[in-house]
Amino acid sequence: MKKTILLLAMLLGMVGLLIACGGEEAGEGKSETTENEGGTGDTGEVGEKLDPVTLTWYLIGTPQQDLELVMEEVNKYTEEKINATIDLRLLDWGEFDERMQVITTSGENYDIAFTSSWANNYALNARRGAFAELNELMDQYGKEMKELIDPAFLEGAQIDGKLYAVPTNKEVGQQAVLSFNHELVEKHDLDISTVNSLTDLEPLLAVIKEKETDVTPIATFDAYLPFDSILQEEMPFAFRLDGNTDEVVNKYEEEVTMETLKVMHDYYKKGYIRPDAATSTDSWPLETPNWFVRKELYQPYAESVWSRSAGYEIVTRPLHEPYVFNNSVTGSMQAISTTSQNPERAMMFLNLLNTDPYLRNLIDKGIEGVHYEENADGSITDLPVRVERYNMPSFAIGNQLILKLYEDDPADKWEAFEEFNEKSIPSPALGFYFDSNPVRTEIAAISNVTSEFSPALLKGAVDPEEFIPEFNKKLYEAGMQDVLDEIQRQYDEWKENQ
Amino acid sequence: MDTLPKSAASTKRKRFLPLRKKKKFNPYGFSGKTSVVMHILLGSFAFLCVFPFIYVIIISLSSEQSLSLHGYRIIPEEWSLEAYMYLWQVRSQIFRAYGVTLFVTIVGTILSVSVIALYAYAISRKQFLYRKQFTFIAFFTMLFSGGMVPFYIVMTQFLGLKNSIWALILPMTVNAFYIIIMRTFFQRSVPEAVLESARIDGAGEFRIFLKIVLPLSIPGIATIALFNTLAYWNDWFNALLFIDNPSLVPLQSLLMRIENNLDFIRQNAMLSSQNGSILASIPQDSARMAMVVIATLPIALSYPFFQKYFVRGLTIGSVKE
Repeated sequence: MKKTILLLAMLLGMVGLLIACGGEEAGEGKSETTENEGGTGDTGEVGEKLDPVTLTWYLIGTPQQDLELVMEEVNKYTEEKINATIDLRLLDWGEFDERMQVITTSGENYDIAFTSSWANNYALNARRGAFAELNELMDQYGKEMKELIDPAFLEGAQIDGKLYAVPTNKEVGQQAVLSFNHELVEKHDLDISTVNSLTDLEPLLAVIKEKETDVTPIATFDAYLPFDSILQEEMPFAFRLDGNTDEVVNKYEEEVTMETLKVMHDYYKKGYIRPDAATSTDSWPLETPNWFVRKELYQPYAESVWSRSAGYEIVTRPLHEPYVFNNSVTGSMQAISTTSQNPERAMMFLNLLNTDPYLRNLIDKGIEGVHYEENADGSITDLPVRVERYNMPSFAIGNQLILKLYEDDPADKWEAFEEFNEKSIPSPALGFYFDSNPVRTEIAAISNVTSEFSPALLKGAVDPEEFIPEFNKKLYEAGMQDVLDEIQRQYDEWKENQ
Repeated sequence: MDTLPKSAASTKRKRFLPLRKKKKFNPYGFSGKTSVVMHILLGSFAFLCVFPFIYVIIISLSSEQSLSLHGYRIIPEEWSLEAYMYLWQVRSQIFRAYGVTLFVTIVGTILSVSVIALYAYAISRKQFLYRKQFTFIAFFTMLFSGGMVPFYIVMTQFLGLKNSIWALILPMTVNAFYIIIMRTFFQRSVPEAVLESARIDGAGEFRIFLKIVLPLSIPGIATIALFNTLAYWNDWFNALLFIDNPSLVPLQSLLMRIENNLDFIRQNAMLSSQNGSILASIPQDSARMAMVVIATLPIALSYPFFQKYFVRGLTIGSVKE
């Protein structure tokens, strides 16, 4: 009985939340623009004599025991530079999204928050009016940072010409790679240099399947499909990466999808993929060498990072050229809240964070001598206490390219990042952020259908020739055509304004 | 006593065979066959209930290596205490979380039971003028709630309870459903005449409540106390909403965070290039199960103490009027 009531209460809570979300869009958007204008008016005077302020900063990551210790040092520095103290609050990975949703809908005051395509959704919150528009602020207080951050980020992250968050400078492209357990490659004298696609894996998998009974050849992954997906990766709406790239398509109707999934299913039937792949949630930890090949997203020198955490060597082969997607440019950003009392100071802080190596390294690695030691050549070595008490999510904080390198990092790591960014190809729909509001109900229905079919299909567990037609039939029953039309309409409109 | 009818029965065995069977009949038990069937049925059901927990204990005692190579097994390839050793290494965090949970559970249960009992007693008395209105106020919240966001706003902005231990206690102090149960319980188990006689002896309202009503209502009080203890012990949602400070996180919330983190990281392919460093800070399978064991045992052990009141309290109080 109690549970039922609790459930009911939660349900009501959800409904309440939804109503609040829907209702506030219009109202909040208005109030915040006026507040903003007031803010920018003030800035001229503030530049002269800075009043002391405290900036609240919500960041994703497991709360760390030594956070207070480090923040004391940080505050000493920021007080001197911009007369601001930082109140950094870490919210755990799994709860960040939910917490930020409550915080933004309740209109709570905060200054800076982590946002991205995968947590505290950037486009959604920007549209909803939760984030302040940053173009002018950045021109005024963030010039240095603007020069350092790869322009691909700054352009790709703009929604209708407006930037709502400061992107983290890191790898701009997204590249799926196959990574191999090098020990097994060597042991059976396999040649991976010819592997460029899923199909090329066949002979290697056959060898592993035959000779290594304890190893599952494929660590369960979703087959790579060459599309730029709108909304989540597994959802059907997407733009092609070549051919007619201006037309939005249902990727499950495309020839290439059928071909790829057929290969996947063939591997499944041959026992290269474990039988419960579609439903299992096992994470295939790197430390356990019970796999031969897996799919990962790449960044320069990722294999050395992976090898380090695995304890044995891992080698990779790219599946495609790196592409710049919306998801990859908005992979990690810091937004300034519309409820912030001090948006200028928040921007000054972000500018400092992204340009000042001392501050950036301090927040990331902790205090020199306590959390790490600096070597003669300028590289650093972790002290054990850092991993235990101050393990921060480096990529989520800010500009990665001004971080100190570890002793076993290649010296040209950041140069390689720059090179990688240069050769990344912008996807056709880069910068197009679909506003899903007009077709919300259809998308909810499609999302349900997708989560029913896509895991089994993408992991190879079911026969695509039988299930893809059924999947598509259900998608169209759920309103697929309306959504495709709406996306196309918005895309054409956006394209015209480019 | 037994011998006489038995010998009598044996002499007239043939004639009174049905009678003999009748004599063995025990109105509180089952006959042989039914008893065996029922024992097997209930025994296996009980086993099904206990088994998952036993399984958790087994997993917590398996070595991590054998878990990731062979999956969960009833008899693991290799037994190991490394999970508990890991917990011992992070004991400062676990002890603190334990402390928070204990404090919240004890203070919360006492506070909650007193408030509920007082409220319920007042609206159970016919002499109380506004009993209908107050009953309605309590009852209304069972049907409608403000929703999560207003709740959050009230807690953080009006009451300033963010990052406070009271944020874990106050939201669950008053429970309308228990108030209704207790009200009915008072009406049923404390006859008006008893109260009247106390009044004639010169007892005031508080004395009547403490000396007469409470002792008579122990089964009901114990039942809601048990419910409250469980609710406080198992609560993680309030901590999720209101607690950022790592030193105020209760045990269940700590567990919940770890589980949530794992799910989240698994589902986000975007994070795969960072996986190593993030996952390094999250305990592994066996350690998580060991935490479950540590978090569940005390509350499971406290159950027998409440049990003798539990059945009585439930049946008497659960009739709503």
